[in-house]
Amino acid sequence: MSGHTGVELRASDAALIQKIVGRDESALAALYDRYASLLSSLLNRILRDTQASEEILQDVFYQLWRNAAQFDPARGSLPGWLAVIARNRAISRLRRHNPSEGGELLETTVIVPANLENALAQQQLLGRVKGALENLSSEQRAAIELAYFEGLTHSEIASKTGDPLGTVKTRIRSAVESLKRNLSS
Amino acid sequence: MSGHPTRPEDFDLYALGVLEGEEKAAIESHVPTCAECANTLAEARGRITLLAFSAPRVEPSAAVRERLMGQVHASAASAAARRATDEPERAGGFFGRWWAAVLVPVGVVLAIATIFLWTENAHLSRELARQRANLEEQKKQLDEARHMADLLEAKDTVSVALAVQPGMPKGDVRVRYNSKMGMAVCDGWVEPAPANKSYQLWVVPMEGKPISAGVIDRGGPINPWMMKLPQGMAAKAFAVTLEPEGGMPQPTGPMVLVGPVS
Repeated sequence: MSGHTGVELRASDAALIQKIVGRDESALAALYDRYASLLSSLLNRILRDTQASEEILQDVFYQLWRNAAQFDPARGSLPGWLAVIARNRAISRLRRHNPSEGGELLETTVIVPANLENALAQQQLLGRVKGALENLSSEQRAAIELAYFEGLTHSEIASKTGDPLGTVKTRIRSAVESLKRNLSS
Repeated sequence: MSGHPTRPEDFDLYALGVLEGEEKAAIESHVPTCAECANTLAEARGRITLLAFSAPRVEPSAAVRERLMGQVHASAASAAARRATDEPERAGGFFGRWWAAVLVPVGVVLAIATIFLWTENAHLSRELARQRANLEEQKKQLDEARHMADLLEAKDTVSVALAVQPGMPKGDVRVRYNSKMGMAVCDGWVEPAPANKSYQLWVVPMEGKPISAGVIDRGGPINPWMMKLPQGMAAKAFAVTLEPEGGMPQPTGPMVLVGPVS
């Protein structure tokens, strides 16, 4: 990982958030440049629709502009928070649900065990995540992807794959234990 | 209040979104009442969020940033206009209402104008980039035309007629070549190539292997076509071969036409 500490990371994102609270448009542009690529990749993977992905991407950052004062960097990671909002909205659209209210998401705390501030750190993290996924069996990885990228529950995954519900639950639980071991450090 | 979840992975499963029914309800009823579990859930959310990094990289188009900043700029302008109108209103009285009546429409007009100008600016920037690209292309074509005219008028330019080889498709291809200028122009026609095949023109140097001068697609008329030859290279001959569609790095097919440089 890079030489930045978590405190520096939060201070940097926090400083930009404070500027956004003061209606500094360039601060929002800076955060967009820092995290838009990550969110765009996530949204396109979920929706497989460029136009819909770009609409949600714009909407997530506009929500950040409107609600920045309510985000407390001390309570968690900004990119983690943005990714949770983006995923929630994309899954809602995919499943034709109404998106969750922004107010609920503002209460969401996300503690990411890594530095995501710069592109190099993001690149290093990518390798770590890929390594953690490669440690899973193909069935485990497929189940995790159905859950994360398609928003399916245990029983929906069992229905989609034709596997017994108990098998699916065991498979996902052991996959999550493995990811936890490999991604927590 | 329910007790702590018995298995620590329950938080990760909840963050992943796979839990249903009682398992999901147990987490949702307990976490708001327990700071320790709320923190554990935040960490689980962070771990699960890292899965976003496994998505193939897709960069958003520049238009998204433009639209976002336009939206933000317009909302800021609109908010400023609202603040301006709110102040006199709070002050009350005839003058407050009078200013509000003037500034509200002005604020709305300003916000609309900002969006319009932003969009127009983005459109003009794209149009300018397109015009610049057109201009560059036209300059390139003009330069080529000048070079072609220079080559055709030069006294030391030689004309090489390529002869059809026995049993090969018919054609009439000519290359005008100037060794000092290091350029050649090819034109003429050749019978359509068989399916999945292309004609390919080669420069045969005095020394070394033939050098590809380009692919003549599937045959038919050949528009005058200028080639710049490697510096210092003297051509011994020009040839056309029949190659797999799209051409090859070195000739592999039969020679269709060939002409020595006299």
